[in-house]
Amino acid sequence: MAMRSQVYEWANLATVGNNSTIRRAANCAPVGLTSGREYDIFIGGFGNNITKPAETTATQFVVIEDISSSPQNGSAVQVRINTTDYFQNPDVTKQDGIPGLASPYPVGADSAGSPTGTNYVLSSFNLYPDVYVLPGQTWGVLYSCQTDVEGSSSSGGGTTGVACFVKYTLYDGPDALIANKLLELGVTVNPNNVDWYKRTLIEQASAPATNGGVA
Amino acid sequence: MAMRSQVYEWDATRSGFGGSAVGAGNTLATARPYSIFIGGVGNNITKPAETTATQFVVIEDIGCTATDLFVGTSVTNWFSGPRAYIQVRINTTDYFLDPDNIGNDGISGTAAPYPRTISNQPSFNLYPDVYVLPGQTWDALYTHYEGSTTAGTHQAFVKYTLYDGPDALIANKLLEMGISVNPGNVDWYKRTLISGASATV
Repeated sequence: MAMRSQVYEWANLATVGNNSTIRRAANCAPVGLTSGREYDIFIGGFGNNITKPAETTATQFVVIEDISSSPQNGSAVQVRINTTDYFQNPDVTKQDGIPGLASPYPVGADSAGSPTGTNYVLSSFNLYPDVYVLPGQTWGVLYSCQTDVEGSSSSGGGTTGVACFVKYTLYDGPDALIANKLLELGVTVNPNNVDWYKRTLIEQASAPATNGGVA
Repeated sequence: MAMRSQVYEWDATRSGFGGSAVGAGNTLATARPYSIFIGGVGNNITKPAETTATQFVVIEDIGCTATDLFVGTSVTNWFSGPRAYIQVRINTTDYFLDPDNIGNDGISGTAAPYPRTISNQPSFNLYPDVYVLPGQTWDALYTHYEGSTTAGTHQAFVKYTLYDGPDALIANKLLEMGISVNPGNVDWYKRTLISGASATV
């Protein structure tokens, strides 16, 4: 399993009285989020988190293929590699990233997040070319919203659930080496091209044998 | 029928061999994975899913009941659905990992909904496919974090292709060659064998 399709889902859900939980837990409630602030979906301290930042080892290569977020509350998601934000404004200033209205999660959610709404949002965005995380790099996905997300302890009458989704492919071991090689060659890193490179290696190795050793 | 498109649908409220009796109040504990094949709840089969020495399975799609998150108008109506996830396990290895390399619950029903509706469309495509090699045992594990066991609220779906006999051998050969195992490539390999044989004659 040297190439694996992987997913990560984050939601602003935590056990009652806490801002975050490691992995997931039952009987959770939404936690409040402040507008204009970035929340790391892996280690941000809000919602479901993991134990350490997402990073690739020397023998791993990650290709991020899709990101999305809830369409409500002006949600957006940004990808950060080491300290560099992937999405930026045309004047090279900072921006929030892909709006949830452009890349909704789930696809078909109501644009205002209404339980009875019928304004189904479809994707306007496809993350192509993909985002590469090279061996040894740290990466993160940052959620932000333009209006406050009310949590269960907020003074308001309602609570709001929001979520993010990341789809990526993890190349490990020999396949990570091939991914690096493809990158050097300027070839897109995807499972098909990794398989293609393997086939060319096999053909080259078997060619002397089929020639009977004749140069 | 050496290549066969196969599906398996699981429903927590349905009865089946080794599963629950009809209407027996199928209780699913939260935060606990249940095998959709032999988990003892819902419709089950007689033994774990496994491939023989002459079989090769390619899992092409999985899905489970979706969950929606809302802008709620009270403290309780911020979601609908079971917050369900489905994980693929090959022998003892979980397929989906968190970025810290620890196994997670798998793909969420929100990203891979079953059934698909206008308001719940897939965000996820299982690519590359998951291969179950000859002699391996495989499973799909359903975990949920909210909700009851009302009919239709806990469902899972697996789509896979079963390669048997000579086609399983070809599937293994394609795997060695670094070629994706799918019906088109298996047919292509057969054609090259046939054209190679007829050229010799």
